[in-house]
Amino acid sequence: MSRFSTGSYPAALSLVAVAALALTACSGAGSTTGSSSGGGKTLVVDTSFNLKTADPGREFEPTGQIVDKALYETLLTFEGNDVTKPIPGLASSYEQSADGRTLTLHLRAGAKFSDGSAVTADDVVFSLNRVIALKGNPSFLLDGVTVTKTDASTVTLVSAKSNPALPFILPNPALGIVNAKTVQAHGGSATASDAAEKYLNSASAGSGPYTLSSFNTNTQVVLTKNPKYNGAAKPTYDKIVIRNVQAPTQKLNVQRGDSQVALDLTSDQVKGLGGGLKVSSGASSDVIFLLLNQDTKVSSVTANAKFVEAVRKGIDYKGLLTLGGAGSVQPAGVIPSNFLGALPASQAAGRDLAGAKAALKASGIAKPSVTLGYPSDLTVDGLSLQTLAERIQAQLKEVGIDVTLAPAPTTTELDNYRNGKEQAGLWYWGPDYPDPSDYLVFLPGNLVGLRAGWKAGADNELTALGEKAATTIGDDTRKTQYEEIQTRLNAGGPFIPLMQPSRNTVSAASVTGIAYNPVWTIDVAALGSK
Amino acid sequence: MSPRSAASEATGGRLRPPARGPRAGLLRRHPLARFLLRRTLTAALLALGVTLVTFVLTNLVPGDPAAANLGQRAIGDPAIVAQFRHQHGLDKPLPVQYATYLGNLFHGDLGESQQSHQPVLTDLGTAVPATLELAGAAIVVSLVVGVAFGVVAALRRDRFTDQLLRVVSLLGVSVPTFWLALLAFYLFFYKFGIAPGSGRIAPEFAPPPDVTGLYTVDAALAGQWPVFWSAVGHLMLPALVLTAYTVGLLTRFTRSAVLEVLGQDYVRAARAKGLPGRTVLFHYVLRAALVPVITVAGLAFGALLSGTVLVESIFAWPGLGAYAYRSATTLDLPAVMGVGLVVGIVYLTVNLAVDVLYGLIDPRVRVQ
Repeated sequence: MSRFSTGSYPAALSLVAVAALALTACSGAGSTTGSSSGGGKTLVVDTSFNLKTADPGREFEPTGQIVDKALYETLLTFEGNDVTKPIPGLASSYEQSADGRTLTLHLRAGAKFSDGSAVTADDVVFSLNRVIALKGNPSFLLDGVTVTKTDASTVTLVSAKSNPALPFILPNPALGIVNAKTVQAHGGSATASDAAEKYLNSASAGSGPYTLSSFNTNTQVVLTKNPKYNGAAKPTYDKIVIRNVQAPTQKLNVQRGDSQVALDLTSDQVKGLGGGLKVSSGASSDVIFLLLNQDTKVSSVTANAKFVEAVRKGIDYKGLLTLGGAGSVQPAGVIPSNFLGALPASQAAGRDLAGAKAALKASGIAKPSVTLGYPSDLTVDGLSLQTLAERIQAQLKEVGIDVTLAPAPTTTELDNYRNGKEQAGLWYWGPDYPDPSDYLVFLPGNLVGLRAGWKAGADNELTALGEKAATTIGDDTRKTQYEEIQTRLNAGGPFIPLMQPSRNTVSAASVTGIAYNPVWTIDVAALGSK
Repeated sequence: MSPRSAASEATGGRLRPPARGPRAGLLRRHPLARFLLRRTLTAALLALGVTLVTFVLTNLVPGDPAAANLGQRAIGDPAIVAQFRHQHGLDKPLPVQYATYLGNLFHGDLGESQQSHQPVLTDLGTAVPATLELAGAAIVVSLVVGVAFGVVAALRRDRFTDQLLRVVSLLGVSVPTFWLALLAFYLFFYKFGIAPGSGRIAPEFAPPPDVTGLYTVDAALAGQWPVFWSAVGHLMLPALVLTAYTVGLLTRFTRSAVLEVLGQDYVRAARAKGLPGRTVLFHYVLRAALVPVITVAGLAFGALLSGTVLVESIFAWPGLGAYAYRSATTLDLPAVMGVGLVVGIVYLTVNLAVDVLYGLIDPRVRVQ
């Protein structure tokens, strides 16, 4: 067979490959962000998006909270990671009536929207009434609240019943104040027929430190400094790019300097991070808990009080914390350790293997077997519930309890959980607002209580305690009441709080002011540089 | 002789039915047009089938879209749940939902995404071009490199080059794409610093004015050359990762096809005539060998589309794969339907293109 002249092909192909890589190298490697470049100082924040909308009346997802915190001011806010004390925002001061029903807020003078117009009491009334009327995810924040304008600089919020949590609810970015005239001009109204979402996803109408330059729920959100912002602290960065990036890529990006902040790295991923990066770790406010269904139709095993006691005593909580990473903590009750009303750590349950076996014997159940449902694709602050479930299964086996794992995708398992069909379930509760009243959902007949088959009337004394705490004013009294509720919940309730995993924020050395906030994760406008 | 032409012979042309207008004449005179029309109609029916299958399957999945999309508090409020169901038409019986979907589809309305709160068509308008840019670049590189490798391997049969390319192609088809993506990103971005980071362009640039949705093309059209080079740079690494599998596949198929053709009499005759090696290769061997290669290339394009799901995730590439994953995991039914429809249409279009290319390359299979 004669030969064809092909000798140069491999060499040519090698050249093509080398040229491709060289082109790649020449065209953007080592991006120049995080520093001054042409258009000013840019900060790149990488996070795994959970984002649906930038409309404050509709958003209630973690990434939406980050975005709207920068775009819209709220009447009250929190400083850094301290969520125990609401501080002035658009309202310079407030008073709450002795019965806890009326909250009077006095607006800050001189506050302006990004178009230069003044923030008025009418804007506040419109914004909050709009949230209520839209019946979206954040509407519950203002359940039973009536908003009225008292005068040009005063707004009054009247709740149907005592609402001591309202000052802790108002800092939520979903309750950001919008420019009523602008929003109305783009189809907005304080009715269910509001059509301003499209506009609010393309431009912002707030008085926050940033304005919205571009918004995409899959790619990135770009914020630009608001020159009209007249709040106390001016933002440092001219532009902030929040990108949708998965955790493994976030790590490489921040290490390489392609981004300056990475929000979703797990404890394993932050181990050994050097190169001038700062790692801020601490317990998140997400409480992972085990539920044991009290409905005998679902399981006569988990409905047995002694069986619940056996599980509570059989779990090795310290062992579980090793999975949560450095900084994770065991909450003594369902209320996170950093909230008002949290039980002291000394009251946290510990492992008592002998006590667990004794309780199991007292339950009268021979060879107990339960099915544990959980969302296998869900990670809580980087901790996979699959890993946690396997560890729990192994620990309870030592007690003599046979746990059958029933992993399922979140979308499937949510149905079982929310309809109270799980025998045992492994879930978490992230705070809707940083007030202990958010945790009354765990009581009999309430939202999460029902998911554990714990119907109204199951513990009337506890229900009465909950009703009293919900309407009590005064931090000291409330603290005592919520501690009492949790002590009782731990003694006879179907929930076993397991842990608050560690929450890590990684940033470049040049970035200052990193503070994890349970409501909005991070306030990008508060970030500085050195 | 085909039955149709036999009938025509028998009638001697005298009993031909009267012409039915210019279009009928066009179709009669142009078999390709007739073929394309027939295939397009078939494709439309198949696309309809795709919508039905997708609709049935997405509704068979256990899980409640309201539970998956509403917050933990909102789901406890029957009024909010009822509004969600009403807004997305979930309060109607399934056949009515499907009929409504089809009715809207004919008006170009694919519904509203429960996740992004935007029309699905708008979402797809950004996701599809991103994936097409990635998969398109990958298939072009794959065809050039894969065919070249295959030809070289065939011509150097059983020599060192052939053995080397065999190893390369085997590695290409064996190595999992997601692993290769992670490795490539780690090495070329993090370790060596010669590739740009994730995304479609560097964060300091704004996307170019939207014309085609392909950043490279749009940036060039707008004359934004820094953006163009940034887009090209960001495209390179994920595209090269995607090519690994298809290059391996095409190398193997091209090698086999070329070897088969090399043994044909007409190739020997061409060489016996003293034609230059290049002429024989390009005009006699490669043209005949390309027919099976094109079939594989069509299939490879499908594989590229599925491969993009993981590659897009690692490179934070906001394409169809990422959109499909998010839609499926949140039971965003209109979005899942939209993705199913787009993927179906892409497959049908690629198959049609492959069939047309057969005719263009090989006269023996040219459409009657």
